[in-house]
Order: sequence, then structure tokens, then C-alpha cells
Amino acid sequence: MNSLNIPTDFGPDSGGRVKGLVIVKPIVYGNIARSFGKKNEDGHTHQWKVYVKPYHNEDMSVYVKKVHFKLHESYANPNRIVTKPPYEITETGWGEFEVVIKIYFHDPTERPVTCYHILKLFQSPVVDGELSSTNLDNTKRMGAANVHLVSESYEEIVFQEPTQLMQHFLMNVQPLTSGSYTHDTDFETKKEKTLENIIDVKGKVKSEINSLKDKLKLARETIAKFKAELAKVQKPPTS
Amino acid sequence: MADVRDILDIERANTPEVTRESFLVQKRRNFEKAKGVSKRPEGMHREVFALLYNDNKDAPPLLPTDTALGIGAGYKQAKARLGMKKVRKWEWAPFNNPARTDGAVFHHWRRTTDDQKDYPFAKFNKQLQIPTYTMTEYNTHLRTNVQKWNKAQTDHLFDLAKRFDLRFIVMADRWDRAQHGVKSVEDLKERYYEVVGLLAKAKGQNSDKKSYAFDAEHERKRKDQLKKLFERTTQQVEEEQMLLNELKKIEARKKERERKTQDLQKLISQADQQSDVATNVQSARKYEKKLVKKKLHHQPRPSKVDSVVNAIEIGGSGIKFSDLRGSGVSLRSQKMKLPANIGQRKVKALEQAIQEFKVDPSPPPTEEICNAFNELRSDMVLLCELRTALSTCVYEMESLKHQYEAACPGKTLNIPPSLIPAEPIKEEIIEPGTSASTNA
Repeated sequence: MNSLNIPTDFGPDSGGRVKGLVIVKPIVYGNIARSFGKKNEDGHTHQWKVYVKPYHNEDMSVYVKKVHFKLHESYANPNRIVTKPPYEITETGWGEFEVVIKIYFHDPTERPVTCYHILKLFQSPVVDGELSSTNLDNTKRMGAANVHLVSESYEEIVFQEPTQLMQHFLMNVQPLTSGSYTHDTDFETKKEKTLENIIDVKGKVKSEINSLKDKLKLARETIAKFKAELAKVQKPPTS
Repeated sequence: MADVRDILDIERANTPEVTRESFLVQKRRNFEKAKGVSKRPEGMHREVFALLYNDNKDAPPLLPTDTALGIGAGYKQAKARLGMKKVRKWEWAPFNNPARTDGAVFHHWRRTTDDQKDYPFAKFNKQLQIPTYTMTEYNTHLRTNVQKWNKAQTDHLFDLAKRFDLRFIVMADRWDRAQHGVKSVEDLKERYYEVVGLLAKAKGQNSDKKSYAFDAEHERKRKDQLKKLFERTTQQVEEEQMLLNELKKIEARKKERERKTQDLQKLISQADQQSDVATNVQSARKYEKKLVKKKLHHQPRPSKVDSVVNAIEIGGSGIKFSDLRGSGVSLRSQKMKLPANIGQRKVKALEQAIQEFKVDPSPPPTEEICNAFNELRSDMVLLCELRTALSTCVYEMESLKHQYEAACPGKTLNIPPSLIPAEPIKEEIIEPGTSASTNA
């Protein structure tokens, strides 16, 4: 903690919350996997790496205290804690399971956030035209047999009115590397496309709603008419 | 064969004498297992049957036996090998029971090979240490309850305790009622343990051994209760059973009532939320409903279409997503979570709609996408409801049409073609011009 150079004037109660301030930190979490192409003696078929990394080129350790990866219980010591970047766990295995990723912050008054990631080892069949949330298309060919599979998600950590201490951390991030910083998945394009698609579908839904409303109106009128006709017919002719 | 030789006292080949070990030596079964293993009764589970019948179909042992001499031999049937060995001699011998004080001599059968040991059952004659007291001890410590227990009675009690080794039931039976009055088992126990405790305290030896505190009151109560329980009549038992059943029923009903009240409260709170939005509309609807009722008072069946349509038009449908206001850290994707109060059916319909329109069910959660996605899903829910409402209307029209056709044969009503679903449920032939009352 001392190495982080915290100003001491916040005291133990981290200085209260900054009203009206919202800081957003986008992150990417997920896993890559590589098949051995055969089964090992322990039954394991893949090597995988599950990770959390910042979306922008910045050092998360300034505000992240630790990342807790909870693996499947069949792993020895399934609760893995990583305290400094890169926040990742490399393991081998044979099955897919849900990894619980819990991110803790340096200010203990800010509660940790939890992401759930289904560890992906096997390429799922691509459904025609469907936009998959996990980007499985960008498997990279690493030699003839070694196919790298990437399954990662974009997420945003929203700091709603952070404490002053937290604000200090969040505003003072350093770049992680001096070089270029990219992801396997092109999230910018994906965001754009997804938003376009949603707006497009929304238009379709709206127009269908309007047409349905018209139809419904007509239907009600027709029903009223039918009822009137029926009443005429059903009335005994004696009157 | 061996028996005959023995009887005739004919010399025979020297065979080793029978010992316990050789007697019980396991003999291999040389006959085949009986064929046609008895069949499993119908309906009995295989696992249960396997428990009942082991392979050689012997009844399972009731007690573990010591016939398995070798370690790991398990529960195996040892076959006694009789008649092959010489028998061991028994003799009619006198013995002395050390437990007896009178030195009486009895006889019993004994193996000649067995050594002259002590009578083996003597060890079961356990002697209890019944404490004693002197006259002065009694006068100083034990005169606690003179009305109930005098010296003579206490002496008699300790005499009995010594004679019958603290078997209080027997002691109570042999109690000299004529001389010392009637005492119950609890009375005897109470006095005995009281005296023992007092003596131990007086002699200062309760440090290492805690004296037993006998709770006579509790014991009397316990026996009283047991007696009451035992002496219940059949009617009483039946009544109790009946009452227990009634209690169960009452509790079930209570639970049901509570559940219903909760549901009602939920509905009320939901209605309150909506009424803020749609007070005017609601009053309008009430008026409209009244009108409809008036108009249709001769209609045998009330229509449910109107209520469905009204519900949608008020705008009570759609989803209200939670506003993640307030301070603290959260994940943006939390904003896209469906609120918990949405019904299972709505969620299902929504999933289908999302699939139908080929939307990513969990898009990258930027603020813009979150808002658009939530609006979209709210619209989708409305869409699903409208679709259902329309199909209800179409159904109603069909049924009215059939009623009309039944009432005046040869005539029909025309449903506007735009309302007929793409795949009509029933092919209807509408002849233009023939019907007197078209709705054109």
C-alpha cells in the first residue's frame, strides 16, 4: 500500500464520496485455449488462460487490489488470487466450466465486482447470421495443429460517485506498456455493429407494434359489429 | 465307521485328537451350487434381492461368528468335520465356587485336558461397595429428614442395598412394609443417594468422585407420565390422532392464507405504481367498461378481449429496468439485467423475440448499447403482448362467426382479410354477396 504513494490527508475513512462524479473503466475478460491435439495421462486435453485486462492501455494495479479467480472445484486450490498484473491464470484441463472473477479495489469501502465467464475450450458451431457475444471467430492459427481459441467479453466498471481516495487512484493511471496495445477481439467494430443492429431491430419492432395496434383496433371494431349482428339474429322475432 | 469301531473298541489308526482348531477347519464344498437359483419376486428391486440372497443361499448370520479363524476369512461357513478324529474325554469333577462363602462343593462336567482352573463364572459375582456409617456419623450428618426416615428405616435400607446389590426394584419389593411403612422405589433411591452423598462429603472424599444427585421429583413425574401414557384408552389414542390431523390441516390452511395475502399485497403495490401513471386512463377505462357491460347485458359470455386490449393500451406492459443510481462500484452489464418481478412467461417470450430478430443476447455493455438494448427489450415485450391480444381477438371473431352461422344458417360474417393470420386455422369459404350482413 505504501508503495502506491497515497496522500495521507484522506485519513482512514477515505475522504467521503465525490458527488456527481462517474468514472468508467472498461475492461476485457475471458480466456484463450489451445488444444494439445491428444489426451494427456491426466485426461487433460487443453491448455487455457483466463484473464482480466484493461481495455485501454493502463495499469489497473493502481486501483485494483487483487483479482480472485474461482475455478472448478476439481482443481487443486480452486481459489486463485492475483495481486498484480497481468491478472491471469494458466491451467490445463478437459472441460468447460464457469469461472467466477471477483475484482477487489484498493479502497475497502468500494465493494468488489463479480464477472462470470464460461471457460471456452471447444469451438461452438457458428449459428448462421447470429452475433455471438463471445468472439470465437478470431481463432488464430498457430501452426498446423495448434488452434488458439479466444472467448472474451467487454465490460465496463462504473464508479458511481467514488470516494476521494478511489478518485485519486482512478485519475492517476499509468500506461501499461509503451508499445501498442490491442485485443484479439475488435470491440470497437463490434460495439458499432451491435448498436446499429439494435437500432435497426428496434425500428422493425416499432413498426410491427404500430401495425399490430391498427389491426387490434380493427379487430375490436369487427368484434363489436359481429356482436351487434349476433344480437339482432338471436333476438326472438316476437318483439 | 469310526463310531462302530469306537463302540466295539477296535484298535484303529492313530488319528490326531480333535482340537477346536481342527474341528472348525474349513472344508471345501465339493458339491456344485444348487442350480435354478430361486427367482426374484416381481416388483422387488435387484439391489434388495441381492442383499437377501447371497450366492450359496444360506440365511444370513444373525450374529457375527468366530468361525472365521484366519484373518480375512470373513463370514464363511466352517464345516464341522465330525467323526474323523478321536474325541476328547470329559469327566464329572467337583469344583469350588469362590464367590460362595459357605464352601459348598458342586460337580460339573469338565474336559480332562483342561487345567484345574478356578470356576470361570466366579468373576461375574461382582461385589458392590456399599458405604457404611457409625452411630455418631448418623447422628451428626444423616438426621436430615426425621419424619420420613428414621435410623431404623435407614439401617433397613442399607441392609437391603447390601443384600441385593442396589437392585432397587428388588429392594422395594423386599422392603418390610409392616415395620417401616410403604416406600416407593424413588423414595429408596432418594434416601440412599442422599446418605451416600452426605457421607462422602463428611469424609471429604467427594473431590475425586462426584456423588450422584438423584432427582426424585423428576423421576416420579416421569413415571407418572409414562403411566398415564400407558393407561390411555383406545378412544383417547384415536382422539389424539384426530386432533393432530386437525392441527396439520389448520396449519396448511394458514400457510395458504398467508401466501394469498402476500400475492394480493404484491398486486396492490404493483397497481399503486401503475395508477400513478395511468389514473386518468383507468377512470376512462372504467367508464368504457360500464358502457360495454350495458351494451352487452344480454350477451351470455362476457368478452375478455377488452380487458386484454385495455391493459396493453394503458401502457402497463414493457419492462421497467432498475436504475442503478446511488454511489458505489457496479458493472455496466448489471444495467441490462431483467428485473426480478418479470414473469417466467414474459422472459420466455422475450428470449424468443431476441432470437427471432437475431439480436446478440448479451451485447458489449457500453452506456449507449445498454439503453438501446433495454428499450428494445421493453418494446419486444409489448410486441409479444400485442400478438397474443390479436390472436385472442381473432379467436373471438371466429367464435362469434360460428355462433352467427349456427343461429341463421346460410349466412355468414366476414372477417377483414388483414386480420386473418398468415396460416388460417380453418379454411373458410366466403361467398361474396350471399350474406345479408357483411361488415364491409
